[in-house]
Amino acid sequence: MHGSNLYEGQKLALKYFTVAIVLFGAQLLFGLFAAIQFMYPNFLFGVLDFSINRMVHINALVVWLLYAMIGAVYWLLPDEAGREVVGIKLGNLAFYVLTAAVAVVVLVYLFIQIGPGKESTIWFITEGREYIEAPRWADIGIVVVVLIFLYNVYATVMSGRRTGILAVLMADLIALAGLYLAGMFYTDNIAVDQYWWWWVVHLWVEATWEVYVAAVGGYILIKTLNANRKVVEMWLWIEVAMMFGSGILGLGHHYFWIGTPEYWWEIGALFSALEPVPLVGLFVHVLYDWGKETGKGNKITNVPAFSWLTVETFGNFLGAGVWGFMHTLPQINLYTHGTQWPAAHGHLAFFGAYVAIMIAAVYLAIQGKAGLKELKMTKAGWWAITLITVGVLLMTVSLTIAAYVQTMVERGMYGATWEGFFAAQNNEWFWQGMCWRLVTGLMVIVGYIFLVYDLLTCTKKQPVQESEAEVAAAAA
Amino acid sequence: MCIEPCTDVVCSFWSRLNQGPMTLTITLHMLIILPMIWIYFDEKKKMEQGDIPEE
Amino acid sequence: MGKPSVWSSNRFWRRSATWVTGVSAVLLILLTFDSMSQMQMGTAQDIKNKVDKRIPSPVVINYKIDYQLSRKRGHEVPIIGGMDANGNSKYEEKEKFFGRDNYSEKEARELIHLGKLTIQAKNCMDCHTLLGNGAYYAPDLTKAWLDPNWNTLAPAYGGKEYAMATFLQNPPAMAMHERKMPNLGITKKEAKAVVAYLKFMSAIDTNGFPRNFGKIKGAVDAWK
Repeated sequence: MHGSNLYEGQKLALKYFTVAIVLFGAQLLFGLFAAIQFMYPNFLFGVLDFSINRMVHINALVVWLLYAMIGAVYWLLPDEAGREVVGIKLGNLAFYVLTAAVAVVVLVYLFIQIGPGKESTIWFITEGREYIEAPRWADIGIVVVVLIFLYNVYATVMSGRRTGILAVLMADLIALAGLYLAGMFYTDNIAVDQYWWWWVVHLWVEATWEVYVAAVGGYILIKTLNANRKVVEMWLWIEVAMMFGSGILGLGHHYFWIGTPEYWWEIGALFSALEPVPLVGLFVHVLYDWGKETGKGNKITNVPAFSWLTVETFGNFLGAGVWGFMHTLPQINLYTHGTQWPAAHGHLAFFGAYVAIMIAAVYLAIQGKAGLKELKMTKAGWWAITLITVGVLLMTVSLTIAAYVQTMVERGMYGATWEGFFAAQNNEWFWQGMCWRLVTGLMVIVGYIFLVYDLLTCTKKQPVQESEAEVAAAAA
Repeated sequence: MCIEPCTDVVCSFWSRLNQGPMTLTITLHMLIILPMIWIYFDEKKKMEQGDIPEE
Repeated sequence: MGKPSVWSSNRFWRRSATWVTGVSAVLLILLTFDSMSQMQMGTAQDIKNKVDKRIPSPVVINYKIDYQLSRKRGHEVPIIGGMDANGNSKYEEKEKFFGRDNYSEKEARELIHLGKLTIQAKNCMDCHTLLGNGAYYAPDLTKAWLDPNWNTLAPAYGGKEYAMATFLQNPPAMAMHERKMPNLGITKKEAKAVVAYLKFMSAIDTNGFPRNFGKIKGAVDAWK
């Protein structure tokens, strides 16, 4: 068995990756339903309303990314620390508890959907707060599972090798976990509610997750290109300085219009305007290392993982950086806030910044599981990366066109009323944008099918080569 | 002098620093970046004295 | 090997990263303390004393609410209980809400408590935006109370709060567009509370968001 020379932690990682890819499929399916409803509002009306599809769409996204993120840490942790994960039994238990909890939450979302206006609904059905709708009992469960995960990371690193990548991850994961607590209380004051809600949402996706990506990206560079660790870690610290330096106070760009003091305009605008800088850095770094290492004659040992990492840096810069910057200044955001602009930005940013790198991490694990020295791109793998990447890019363009119309018509011409909203929604340009969004969404789904097929089969379709396990067996 | 009395609902320390579009944020940026100059020279001194352990 | 440079030293960047992260976090915490003190919900006493609060007391449901340009602030602000000569809220003009304009602080707080719980329990935010945050399938509700559309419907229902509450209890029956709101099983009591919440929310000072709300009616025929 090839898999037998894996660490137990890496076997646990494979379980996390499996659930992640399944939930990725759920995300796309419910996104498709929601996209259809934009064009045909009677589709599934009263059965699975838009609010439900949209909630499952974004929750599946967040949860599968978290699964993949935990998986990637369990994958690299024993490898970097040079020892088995300490509390592996506890880690396995936590995986099953979390997965059972996620299943229950999704079933409640789909079959109970909403509740009466009581505290019990918040505890057991839905919290009704975008991205963190999970009911309170699940919040507490998530905290427990994350504590187990953190314990495993800390205990393993403390008794193993402490690399720069692990040092960054340790600091980052504790912040990531701690921030979740900011979204776990109820208040009648919607301004205060949204203030703390952004602590979770922004300080995750625009600070701690970005730093996580920089750390894991560094690991993938070392693994696929044999890049110089010292240089990778230097870049990583520069990235941390720039990401947290711009991202923490960049939080202010969500505090323009929610009942917060006016000084957030200035802080939010100019700190968040710097957020693209580290993303350019990440992009340049990967391209630079690519040229340098292949120039030295180093081969890329995992072409699919490296290709997805390249898509990540490009998509992160374009989606999070450029599309984010486009509407981050308050003078512009006054008219774009609450339109399709954030939808356009969100699709490319989540895909570029997080989805692509997590797929890269899965490819790395697939290679490790099969014990292959080299993993080449297969035909199916090529179709997967092309269809998904081009699909999401075109989807972003479609949504951006719709966003322009909405901003001009609803906000500019009509002053944001009910009448203005529907005048924009009925505009031909808006409608066409939504139409193309649906077409490009289908493209992504076809790409996803190729991806799943490739993940299951790519290691068997490699040109004949000696695997590490066979070399080891022959030597023995 | 072109210092405006603050126009916000409540005039706190931060809103008084908010004079026009740049003052507050430049102050905060400087507060964050300027001490890095000190870190730079401190590291340089240590490097020249050779008391940096090899990592 | 050339002379080692501080710029390529891992130690320098690690120390810088630690410093930058730490000081940003401290600044955010200080700013949060200041913002939180400004964002506490006001009291009935504040309204009596004519003190502007970013998030006023829920007893604003007893008053007429408007949204007008403030010359001092440079954008629109909520005007509660009529506007004085300087463009500030007078906190005088009352307006009946479900037949009453004397809700006590306790009653009003209970109403908006039920309203907020209902808004979360029915997942409003996954179709609508509130304060501009949420999903983009249905209109923004930040100033929904002031939407001219409800004024046109109001007479037939004996006031816009009645029209809104009737709509919420069975939206498909009053559908105003092909993309209609589903029936979410909102009770009469919950509907009243949600409408109270919408009225209260329209009185929150959102720094002029949304711009020009309700000022332009059919001025430009962008439909075609």
